[in-house]
Amino acid sequence: MPGPAVAEFEDLGKVYHTGLLGRGRRMAVEHVTFRIEPGEVYGLLGPNRAGKTTLVKVLLSLCRPTTGRALRFQRPVSDRQTLARVGYVHESPAFPRYLSAPALLEYFGGLALLPEPVVRRRAGELLELVGLSDRGQEPIANFSKGMVQRLAVAQALINDPELLVLDEPSEGLDLAGRRLVLDVIAERRRRKLTVLLVTHVLNEIEQICDRLAVLVSGRLVFTGTVAELSRDPKTAASRPLDQALNQLYQTVSSPAR
Amino acid sequence: MSSPEVIYACRLLIRDTFRQALANGVFWVMLGACGVVIFFCLSVSVEHGEVKAPDDIEVDRASGHMSMAFGAWRLPKGSDDAKVVHALMLVLGEGVFGIVGTLLALAVTAGFVPEFLHESNATVLLSKPTPRWVLLLGKYLGVLSLLAAYVGLYVVGTWVAIGLRTGFWVNNYLWGMPLLLLQVAAVYSFSAFLGVCARSGLVCVFGSVLFWLICWGINYGRHYRVAVESLDPTLPQQGPVLRFLGEAGYWLLPKPVDLGMILHSALEARQADVHLQEVIRVGAFHPELSVLTSLAFVVGMVLLSAQQLASKDY
Repeated sequence: MPGPAVAEFEDLGKVYHTGLLGRGRRMAVEHVTFRIEPGEVYGLLGPNRAGKTTLVKVLLSLCRPTTGRALRFQRPVSDRQTLARVGYVHESPAFPRYLSAPALLEYFGGLALLPEPVVRRRAGELLELVGLSDRGQEPIANFSKGMVQRLAVAQALINDPELLVLDEPSEGLDLAGRRLVLDVIAERRRRKLTVLLVTHVLNEIEQICDRLAVLVSGRLVFTGTVAELSRDPKTAASRPLDQALNQLYQTVSSPAR
Repeated sequence: MSSPEVIYACRLLIRDTFRQALANGVFWVMLGACGVVIFFCLSVSVEHGEVKAPDDIEVDRASGHMSMAFGAWRLPKGSDDAKVVHALMLVLGEGVFGIVGTLLALAVTAGFVPEFLHESNATVLLSKPTPRWVLLLGKYLGVLSLLAAYVGLYVVGTWVAIGLRTGFWVNNYLWGMPLLLLQVAAVYSFSAFLGVCARSGLVCVFGSVLFWLICWGINYGRHYRVAVESLDPTLPQQGPVLRFLGEAGYWLLPKPVDLGMILHSALEARQADVHLQEVIRVGAFHPELSVLTSLAFVVGMVLLSAQQLASKDY
């Protein structure tokens, strides 16, 4: 019997209203059901416009589901209190460029409702961790894309979250930056904390994900382990992950809109 | 969310707004604009003319000049010294800040809310446990604090400068601080609403200026109607629907004309406009209600903006 899930989607659907008057409709995801257990590193995969980011947005209360429901720490996602237990790295973070790295961490730490002394202590530790402690009061405007991405990782960890959501965290990162992300995930795993990783990098999925979900055109087409995905359904032989995914994408027809 | 947490979050957002204003130059633009006007006031002086004999039929009781720009520009006073200083203060309050200052404030602060809520910026911000209404309130209070600092600097600075140069310390001029702040708070609350809905600085600038002109028109139009009906009851009356709409608009929206009338009254200056004089005479002008309803508009607009933000998908 599984324990209480960290995140849970039940028959979830999301339709965006488009156009000037909002009369247009674009289905982003439909009938998505899966759960993320405590302590697991969960991968979310799919081609572009598959609905991965929409699921992340629903999980983070950035948008509301149209149908079905989503739970975060067994509470509806509309309950913002549980966001205090979540950290989030956006795929292309854009922070206020006038802030310095410590000021940014203090700003987001404060908005995560952490006490000021805790924020200051954590900010110092995290800047050390991501290799930005020597940047002092330099504004973010002077940072490279990779440095901003590392800062994004630091801000996501400011509240030492139980659930860390990483949306394409390796975008724009050099090798050292990628190593940092992998180290952070490994450290979360050691401490039995949960990670949701949205990525295109199959290597990352193979290396670190306990389970994964695959979305295609807004529909969930697979949930299970990497080994299960890699297994050829006809021969039961193991095959490369990219081959398995390509086959999966091709066999799923686009849903009627 | 507890009250101390709300205050803590608002404090952070207010501090962030000041940092933003410093970084994008808004702080210095507004400071410079205030400095220019204060410097202008330091150049003003009132010069007495020669005393003429009382039996002289050509007597000009208000002989003398008001000089500006350190004497480079001289205007005949046309009135006694105190009235001239009051008139100058009205120009500074109603005209310079009331119109030019408000337009400048709207233009330079229009980008604050749209930038704050821009998608790439806001996704991390809105994924924090702080409720969206607190984020908006904090940002609104941040901009308002910034504007309050300028209004305070402007009014106190010009009051001190005029006091030093003319010897007239007109304390009632300081009422300009809350009145001008209420005016910018009201129009900025609409700008913030547009910022939440459209997330565009350009929409905020043009939308809020248009809104301000509409408010001015409805405010003046209502007083004009009341005055005309009183001055000439034989004229055909406005229809009940139009009258109701005019009254509803007047009471619901901010009242820039009324705020100017209150400043006139504080400076014991006579209204130049005959229609506004008539409105006061017939008792159709209620300064307290005018201020209260303008305040209610601000609160209502901030609540509406918060509700809009809370229901928006990112």
